[in-house]
Amino acid sequence: MIASSPWRQSLGLRQAGVFYALLVLLGILAALAASRGLPPYLAPSNLGNIAYQASLVGIMAVAMTVMLITGAFDLSVASVAALAAAVLVGLAGQIGFVPALGCALCTAAMVGIFNGVIVELVGINAFIVTLGTLTAVRGLVLVVTDGRSLMVEDPQVLAQMLAFESTRVPLFWALLVLGAVALGLATLRRAWGIALAGAALLGLAAVLGRGFTVAAPVVYLIAFTAAAWFVMERTVMGRRLQAVGGNAEAARLSGIDVRAYRIGAFVLSSLAAGFAGCLFGCRLGAINPTAMQGAELTVIAAAILGGTSLYGGAGSVIKTVAGALILFTLTNGFNILNLGANYQGIIEGAVIIIAAAIYTLGNRKRGETR
Amino acid sequence: MVSASPLLALRHIAKRYPNGTQALVDASLEIHAGAVHGLLGANGAGKSTLIAILSGATAATQGEIVWQGQPVRWRRPADARRSGVSTLYQHIPLVPTLSALENILLDAPGWQRHDRDQRARARAVVAQLGDPFALDALVAHLPISARQMVGIAQSLLGGAQVLVMDEPTASLGASDRAAVYDVVRRLAYQEGKAIVFVSHFLDEILALTDHVTILRDGCDVLHRATGDLDEASLAATISGRDVAMLARRQRQVGTEVRLAVRDLASPAGLSPTTFDLRAGEILGIAGMLGAGRSELLHAVFGADPQARGQVLVDGVPVVAETGAAVAAGLALVPEDRKRQGFVAGFSIADNIALPGTGWRIDRAAERQRADHAIATLGIKADDAQRPVGTLSGGNAQKVVLAKWLTPQTRVLLLDEPTAGIDIGARIDILEQVRRLADQGLAVVLVSSDFAELLALSDRILVMRDGAVVACADPARTSEIDLTLLASGTAPPCDGAPA
Repeated sequence: MIASSPWRQSLGLRQAGVFYALLVLLGILAALAASRGLPPYLAPSNLGNIAYQASLVGIMAVAMTVMLITGAFDLSVASVAALAAAVLVGLAGQIGFVPALGCALCTAAMVGIFNGVIVELVGINAFIVTLGTLTAVRGLVLVVTDGRSLMVEDPQVLAQMLAFESTRVPLFWALLVLGAVALGLATLRRAWGIALAGAALLGLAAVLGRGFTVAAPVVYLIAFTAAAWFVMERTVMGRRLQAVGGNAEAARLSGIDVRAYRIGAFVLSSLAAGFAGCLFGCRLGAINPTAMQGAELTVIAAAILGGTSLYGGAGSVIKTVAGALILFTLTNGFNILNLGANYQGIIEGAVIIIAAAIYTLGNRKRGETR
Repeated sequence: MVSASPLLALRHIAKRYPNGTQALVDASLEIHAGAVHGLLGANGAGKSTLIAILSGATAATQGEIVWQGQPVRWRRPADARRSGVSTLYQHIPLVPTLSALENILLDAPGWQRHDRDQRARARAVVAQLGDPFALDALVAHLPISARQMVGIAQSLLGGAQVLVMDEPTASLGASDRAAVYDVVRRLAYQEGKAIVFVSHFLDEILALTDHVTILRDGCDVLHRATGDLDEASLAATISGRDVAMLARRQRQVGTEVRLAVRDLASPAGLSPTTFDLRAGEILGIAGMLGAGRSELLHAVFGADPQARGQVLVDGVPVVAETGAAVAAGLALVPEDRKRQGFVAGFSIADNIALPGTGWRIDRAAERQRADHAIATLGIKADDAQRPVGTLSGGNAQKVVLAKWLTPQTRVLLLDEPTAGIDIGARIDILEQVRRLADQGLAVVLVSSDFAELLALSDRILVMRDGAVVACADPARTSEIDLTLLASGTAPPCDGAPA
């Protein structure tokens, strides 16, 4: 029997630990900044900056979480992102920004279909297949770019791309309205979780102030996360995805097309990676063939920090975003506070292992085997 | 044969888990060398906990363990094994990629991988068991029955004097069971070992054991010599109430053909099979393990991609794919609940709603459905949000059944729905099946329990080696007839159906 109430459980270390960790980390860095006489670490501009830095990995990590929930694995995301960026930058000058974006996303989706079909229909382990595409797609990027940096020459197209990536979006009123709506819903339904979220949004609005703006990728991340959360938590499709990872055979014998859902997850993962890659390409209007190399590990680390099970069946996209924020807060903190970039890897690695240990021990306490 | 003082005695054992569950209240057990001791109890009666305490996997909170007259405390399974108590679980932990010999020697001392003396000793032990497997065969290639023998050999080589066997026959067919009985008798009466034999099968407990202990609600409620007992008294003591096994009842069967199966065959082990099933009819499928019963149900349900042939529901052909089968109103309760039936991490409500279609989840409606299932099927759970993985076997099976209790379901395929389930839950499930059929559902019931088949079915098909070999009228057939038909020692009676 679980002794504590669901309400207390949902605020426990196992359930909400990643949010606490993020708050504690921000607190420590703020204290460090204050003690060294640096400008306040928690300034709205810096918080917006962290979110911006985390946005690309965050978008990929949300899709990776869905992927991991279905019980599969995708190592190829960073290469796919680079390929999409190369396609976008390479084509935008000739066919215009929007058609090039479409081509880039289609290219990414093709890689996803390839991964999914090989894994599901041939039956090779996803780790091996995507390790293969990780290497091969990076090779394809080299072929496409001929090993050199590409850039968009047409100033009009370049302006469009920069607008897509760097437009500042005011968030104050959005936060206020969303917070109020959540509080209203909470009083109607007497739901504590929604009330807490609403209060957090209003608090955030108060802290950040009226002039707060973020770059467009943060808004894309928020929108994508919200959509993924809704699908996973509130729709039959979400439950089916989770059932596929929780017990594929039981799902199949309940009439669920397990393969279609798994292939769908691969396509989603590649599409999200492609979109993130396009944002990366838009940032500078240019791409070099080694762009985002190694980012797949950060993406997976974010999902693990968020408590996603590598065995499938469990995970939360919102906690994954919190995990990505932790990783980029660390990076940002080391840079701003000049803490010695040499130690950054050690700290990040330790954070990941400690998080995984907390989740594993938490599960064991509840009598689960993994 | 039985010595006066017990080899191992558990006295007034109580066990309370840290989460507050009182698994054992006051249980005692005496085990003698050279005898087979049966341990019985419904699911949740405390058998598993008692075995865990015997094996040293968990410690009792009260009571004492006396080993050869000395009180002992076992903290780890290794402590119990070193004393000479070895536990064989239903799923024996063997390394499939090593040979039988290397598995047997897995916990043997020494540093050499291929030691001639050890090989000789292992060979001697395996010979004691009647050489049921080749020493150098890979465990992955051995059938389940042989793997059990590997486990037994491992225990014997480790110097076991007490062998605790947890449902060793649950997943075996008739001939393999007989082999297990042989070994058990040989070990007890020739080698003088003490055997604790845990089983759900009352007939084998009666045939095999010398003494019986029955647990109920964490207490030992009966210690008796087996000779003084019969199946009815065992069943009554286990459940704590007098259960007449479900009585046969003449039923009204509809006239319209609901399910038509035409020349359905599969390389997985099913010869072309043809039969009809009418609305409200319960069709029993009798057969030994491996006779093709599960293969037939999987092929009908579209879960076997290699199957060929036609399945029609109400005259409409069904595409061979599980999603299409569910949409056509077919429903399968699979044999292996844990692996095929439910998602352990999902709540009762989520598991029941799993086959549901549509796109939005209506939590309130699903909760209501789950609460309804908990009430009507008698699922013992305090809350519909409870993960199914934490329920006992019988209750989990009721959840798997509840999954399909929708107006959409027209044909219910049940694969051993009562295997490994205590008598109370078993009767709940069977009565529910009969009620569903009375409401017009067509039911195919596969069961190894022939009494159950005879009580429930309107017609019985007997399968052997992947083919339907006979059709029996349950009103004019006995359990013995069915056994003879299924095990191939009698010629087909009425001839196979057209």
